[in-house]
Amino acid sequence: MNDMIIVLRSLRVRLLASSVTVAMVAIAVALLLVLMSLREAASQAFRRGTGNIHLLVSADASPLVGVLNGLFYANAPANPIAWGKYEEIKNSFPWQWAIPTQLGDSFRGSPVMATTPDFLSNFEPVSGQPFQYASGKAFAEDFQVVAGSQAASEHGLSVGQKIVFSHGTGGSREGGHQHADHPYEVVGILKPTGSAHDRALFTNLQSTWIIHAEDRRENAASAEHEAEAEEDHAGHDHAHEHEHEHEHVEAADLTDADKLMTGILLRLPTRPGSDASASIAAQFDRLRRDMAITVAQPAQQIGRLMAIVGDIDWLFLAMAVVVLVSSAISIMLAMVSSMELRRRQVAVLRVLGASAWRVFALAITESTLIGLIGAILGAILALGGSAIASTILAQRIGITVAGTIDPRSAALVMAGAVVLAALAGIIPAIKSYRTPVARHLRPIA
Amino acid sequence: MNSASSEHSATTSGIEISGLHFAYRRGFQLSIPYFHVASGEHVLLAGSSGSGKSTLLHLIAGIDDASAGEIRIGGTNILGLHGAQRDTFRGKNIGMIFQTFNLLQGFTALENVMMALMLAGYSTSQQRSRAESALSKLAIADPHSPIEMLSVGQQQRVAVARAVAGEPCVVLADEPTASLDPANARAAIDLIKEAARAAGSALIVTSHDPSLREAFTRIVEVSQFAPTEAVR
Repeated sequence: MNDMIIVLRSLRVRLLASSVTVAMVAIAVALLLVLMSLREAASQAFRRGTGNIHLLVSADASPLVGVLNGLFYANAPANPIAWGKYEEIKNSFPWQWAIPTQLGDSFRGSPVMATTPDFLSNFEPVSGQPFQYASGKAFAEDFQVVAGSQAASEHGLSVGQKIVFSHGTGGSREGGHQHADHPYEVVGILKPTGSAHDRALFTNLQSTWIIHAEDRRENAASAEHEAEAEEDHAGHDHAHEHEHEHEHVEAADLTDADKLMTGILLRLPTRPGSDASASIAAQFDRLRRDMAITVAQPAQQIGRLMAIVGDIDWLFLAMAVVVLVSSAISIMLAMVSSMELRRRQVAVLRVLGASAWRVFALAITESTLIGLIGAILGAILALGGSAIASTILAQRIGITVAGTIDPRSAALVMAGAVVLAALAGIIPAIKSYRTPVARHLRPIA
Repeated sequence: MNSASSEHSATTSGIEISGLHFAYRRGFQLSIPYFHVASGEHVLLAGSSGSGKSTLLHLIAGIDDASAGEIRIGGTNILGLHGAQRDTFRGKNIGMIFQTFNLLQGFTALENVMMALMLAGYSTSQQRSRAESALSKLAIADPHSPIEMLSVGQQQRVAVARAVAGEPCVVLADEPTASLDPANARAAIDLIKEAARAAGSALIVTSHDPSLREAFTRIVEVSQFAPTEAVR
């Protein structure tokens, strides 16, 4: 027999109330841990992905939209950049590299980025960590594609497989116009990078230009046919566009008007081992004067985004703290509401030789134990919860969020829960301490 | 309050009360110039309900405070001890039995007895062996069953075992038979007396039941300690 057994039995006698209060603490701790983990992981996910880019040129409405569209695949950019503009910017400064990108097609909901092989070899999704291949190699010819790790696993892609893209990035797998005439061959699968690029597929610009050029010419032709068809036989099945005579386009047929892109990734020359260049600000200011384009410093834009999101998730954290505090209050209420029974036990313990301080300590120990058990269960719950949440996040918004909980913040939250629970025991403990012994030994009338 | 000095008077073991005065808010008071119960002696404290029997027991146990006087138990003035000292002293030297037993729910019979021994300062192994022997002497069939599963008779035996297991200087029984029929009341008193005798403890039993008088050689009317009658 020892004091801990007394406390444990006291919890067991009020099993329902004890379980409910333990559950409340567990839920509060889990909520707090999951929110903290997601907050950390989300900012991590956003910090990854801009990699070693210094400047991003787009034709989007704002620099932030440009970054979210161009590097995080939020939406297909609506406005194209012309080939001439790319040439102009490329030749305006001795960039370390200038990589054109074009977004707009998708494969079963996964974005397809058309770019140059430089993207896979020079761009590093996380600075200092270039793309690596799980299998295969980079695309070298038209209609070859390299899949990001998540896109590959989600769609079960493997090297050698033929796939067909559709126009537009709509989430629906059936919707959108299919580029059925031009299957792409999967030539490489990338290793995970922990960035949004894991969701994407990469191919060269020329393939994309070719299929879009064909589409445009077919649409023009089909509009003529349609006009004829309306006169001849109404009700002509419209879905069989490709039954029309095929408009075949070769690379040589491409005009500058076909060569559209949606983004240009720029990196200035730097000293070896350094990621910064003194000229970034000057080049940023110079390009910004061109009203036809939008220039962003991706790291800065992500910093701004985090500042905005940060305010919101502090609100979430504050709510979780409120939940934690109210769980502590519920411990106190549960203990106070059982005070009449508890006082009888206290009186008996006092008669048997327990000091007032000892029964005070028993009450504090009991509430602390509720906090401790709740905190441990909460941490276990959070591990499962954040795994689920990160899966959902990856599916819904495509941000790869590792479902890990930082041990230090977890320890902090758990310690906080235990301390709050201990504090919650103070009022019941004072009541125990002050219990008039003689009165509570009498038979209950 | 008199000095907290606990000089032993070699002649007095058991309980020695001197110059005790206790006043209750509503005019009720107890006044005991001198009262002595020898070591191992059994005393019936008789009187109607509300006459102050329980209060006197509570004073002896140190869970109520007197305005003046001394209560020496085994030579130590319990009223001179304060806080944890008094609680520890009570745990080691005084065993109490109640009308409603006041056993702790959620604990087994064995654990109820062991808890008393723990608070009296016995080591874990001593707690177990002493509790087991006390329970077996009192014929508790299943010391490991939860207290609320036992019959009332068995519960009473556990309550007695808890009071005597530490072989205290004094056993105080407050109306232990009030909820029993006469035949069982007499059996319960014999059980308590036998347990106290085996433990070598002085015993004070309070009762308003005249039929218990024949079980005691020394009977003290509490009314003699109350100069004014109890006020309702």
